Amino acid sequence: MALMILRSLKIMDEAKEAVFEEARDYTGAKLGMWLFILSELLLFGGMFILYSGYRYKNPADFHHASRELEVVLGTLNTIILLTSSLSVATSIAAIQKGQRKLSMVLLMATMALGLLFLANKGFEWGTKIEHGIYPNSPTLLARSKGEILFFGLYYVMTGLHGLHVLVGVCVFSVMLILIAKGTLNQMRFVPLENAGLYWHLVDIIWIFLYPLFYLIT
Amino acid sequence: MENREVKIHPVKYRTYVFVWMGLVILTGLTYTVAVGIHPAGWAIFVALAIAGTKSGLVLNYFMHLKSERLVIFKVIIPLVMAVFLVFILLTFSDVAFRGVVK
Amino acid sequence: MTSTGAMESIRPRISFYEDHGKYRGILSWILTLDHKRIGLLYFIFVMAFFFSGVVLGFFMRLQMLAPGTIMKPQTYNSLFTLHGIIMIFLVVIPAIPTIFGNFFLPIQIGARDVAFPRINLLSWWLYITGAIIVVISVFTGGGPPDTGWTFYAPYSLRTTVNVPLAVFGVFILGMSSILTGINLVTTTHRLRAPGMTWNRLPLFVWAIYSTSWVQILVTPVIGITLILIIMERFFGVGVFDPAKGGDPILYQHMFWIYSHPATYIMILPAMGVISDVVPVFARKRIFGYMAIAISGVAIAAVGSLVWGHHMFVSGQSDFADILFSLLTFLVAIPSAIKVFNWVATLYKGSIVIEPPLLFCLAFIFLFSIGGLTGLIQGALAPNMHLHDTYWIPGHFHYIIFGGMGFGLFAAFHYWFPKMFGRMYNRKMAMRAWAVMLVGFNIFYFSMLLLGWEGMPRRYYDYLPQFRSLHLTATFGSWILIAGLILMFANLFRGLFKGEKAEDNPWGGATLEWQIPSPPPTENFEKIPGIRHGPHDFKELENNG
Repeated sequence: MALMILRSLKIMDEAKEAVFEEARDYTGAKLGMWLFILSELLLFGGMFILYSGYRYKNPADFHHASRELEVVLGTLNTIILLTSSLSVATSIAAIQKGQRKLSMVLLMATMALGLLFLANKGFEWGTKIEHGIYPNSPTLLARSKGEILFFGLYYVMTGLHGLHVLVGVCVFSVMLILIAKGTLNQMRFVPLENAGLYWHLVDIIWIFLYPLFYLIT
Repeated sequence: MENREVKIHPVKYRTYVFVWMGLVILTGLTYTVAVGIHPAGWAIFVALAIAGTKSGLVLNYFMHLKSERLVIFKVIIPLVMAVFLVFILLTFSDVAFRGVVK
Repeated sequence: MTSTGAMESIRPRISFYEDHGKYRGILSWILTLDHKRIGLLYFIFVMAFFFSGVVLGFFMRLQMLAPGTIMKPQTYNSLFTLHGIIMIFLVVIPAIPTIFGNFFLPIQIGARDVAFPRINLLSWWLYITGAIIVVISVFTGGGPPDTGWTFYAPYSLRTTVNVPLAVFGVFILGMSSILTGINLVTTTHRLRAPGMTWNRLPLFVWAIYSTSWVQILVTPVIGITLILIIMERFFGVGVFDPAKGGDPILYQHMFWIYSHPATYIMILPAMGVISDVVPVFARKRIFGYMAIAISGVAIAAVGSLVWGHHMFVSGQSDFADILFSLLTFLVAIPSAIKVFNWVATLYKGSIVIEPPLLFCLAFIFLFSIGGLTGLIQGALAPNMHLHDTYWIPGHFHYIIFGGMGFGLFAAFHYWFPKMFGRMYNRKMAMRAWAVMLVGFNIFYFSMLLLGWEGMPRRYYDYLPQFRSLHLTATFGSWILIAGLILMFANLFRGLFKGEKAEDNPWGGATLEWQIPSPPPTENFEKIPGIRHGPHDFKELENNG
């Protein structure tokens, strides 16, 4: 079974390389996207600075609060996002090889995984809120300062991250339409590539959020 | 803007799959290590190291940084890491030393 | 300056004003993709906000003219808050990059436009949106913010005025700033004409380039901080609220991580203007081109490490105090290198006295005073005494207004003929300059003295011992405003009644002076091939 999959991948690999004229500046478009990514890294970076300061000051409280998070869901969500990065990367490779339908299928898979991630997150938040753990709740305010800070950071950071996931899914839906219409194709795909870069950024942020919130020993 | 011809070499699908496998393994590693590290103080550095490795894989392979030729692409990630590190260290020069009279 | 090979010829030369593209009338402006039109759109609104900021300042000084009060204390708090928000976020931070960076960076590197023209337009629309939101916050939700432009927690979390909306407006402005930064960095990397190597770039381009990096990297930090204020006020998250374990000093760290480098976003472009203008009016290449280019990068880099010097008395650790003070002293070095190099350029040059040069000379003088006072307050012991006194606004107005402001006015007077195809009355400009310089120093030097004497800042009233200095300061502010009015009236008149300007009235050697005044939409008929640096006046003179 595995051999068959690998063989079919090899066949697809041998699709023609794309050679195209840059009507616009391909490298410049990518550079612009990368610079935007830098700014996003520092947007979340600001929160990581706060996290590090408060965790340093409240190590026991952070550990205690972390154990209340659903590690299984968090780990699952990590895998979901990593897989969605795989699917979008292959979607871009597909369109570069002229495999339009495959590209669209992979893109839809990426979007589905993104939505699954959000559903999980929503479920996690839901259970916490049901237990009375949310910003400014009486239950939370009755706890120690460190725990209040932990959950404050948890909600804001995963919330901001989730918002970025949602935006990514919306951007992909636009890309999907453009591929379907043929506006994005083997000769012109840099918007999809840039959307992919954005998505990988969202994945990287979660790669750090996961151990910092779910795995505090 | 000028017209230039650029040869695009699409990355092989199997490369992406292998990277993905590496990422999943590292995720498993970070989970098991988290419960097993003693003393607990070092755990965060191990976790960050693994997360850093995973990010490196995503950056270099999924985001194609490894195949970019221009200097600017090689510079930007180290640059943002340096900036962030400096911000955290200088903030800690305050947070970690309150109440210590110099 | 000869043009060599390659590239298509574009349609016959009409100025970018006449070439309105797809739309007519006002739409041809607010939906334009032409970097020059976008630069002018910013020009109009940045100046409009500058005037409103000046009016607010006028009323502040009126209040402080004599002991006693002509307004409620709450009103005064809102006045200085709004004055700060408007001047910093709507005027000084955007001004030179969005007006002159947009208009001239592409031309100076030999390009037809920026890398992302639509993003450029988006940046302008975000600027307008942010501005409107800030203006609305003045009239809604409990009234204008009274926290100072610094929005310190926990007061900003508790005060009942419209902090969230004002802060959100600033957030949107930050997005505009980041996008402009991304655009100009990419433009500089990707759109330089053949032969325009990094060491042939005009120093103005180097300055805008360094500034743009700072914009990209530090603006997000204040972005997230402002979001957190909104989160705290609406959801009670607790990140800065001491009652919930939050640390107000961490707020200050996050705020100043942006807001100190922001002062370099303000000053670096102005330094870029000085570096471009001085050689033209000394008819001599700049002294130490590489030193000036690299010192700009150094200022951007080291300047991002000193933010704690705003917090010496906040309760941060002694260790941080010492560290930040040391770093602050270091950042003075690249600034001093620039001042030295400008003066060395003038030395033994053939000086041409024209308004642009006069504003540059004023810059050098006023910036030096600002810089030296900065060193004094950057030392820990004096800071204990000077923090939160009038010394601080005295210092930063020397830097921001004396420095950036006069640099901006230098840019106006230098590039006016290129942008508008007309010349203003130069004698009048020089008179206005003199009036401004006199008023400025009477005003702001009095502030330095007031601070030294212990007069606290952001106070709506004061003890009788401070009255004569306050009287003098207010008096100086009136002279300064008179000078501003003279200057702007003169420029405005020049816009409509001025003589037609030549293509190169000052004899500049950078690319913008080799194209018509005002430029055609596509900037160049043929993209030039570059064979020399930006200060090769001899070749220019040889070509006649």
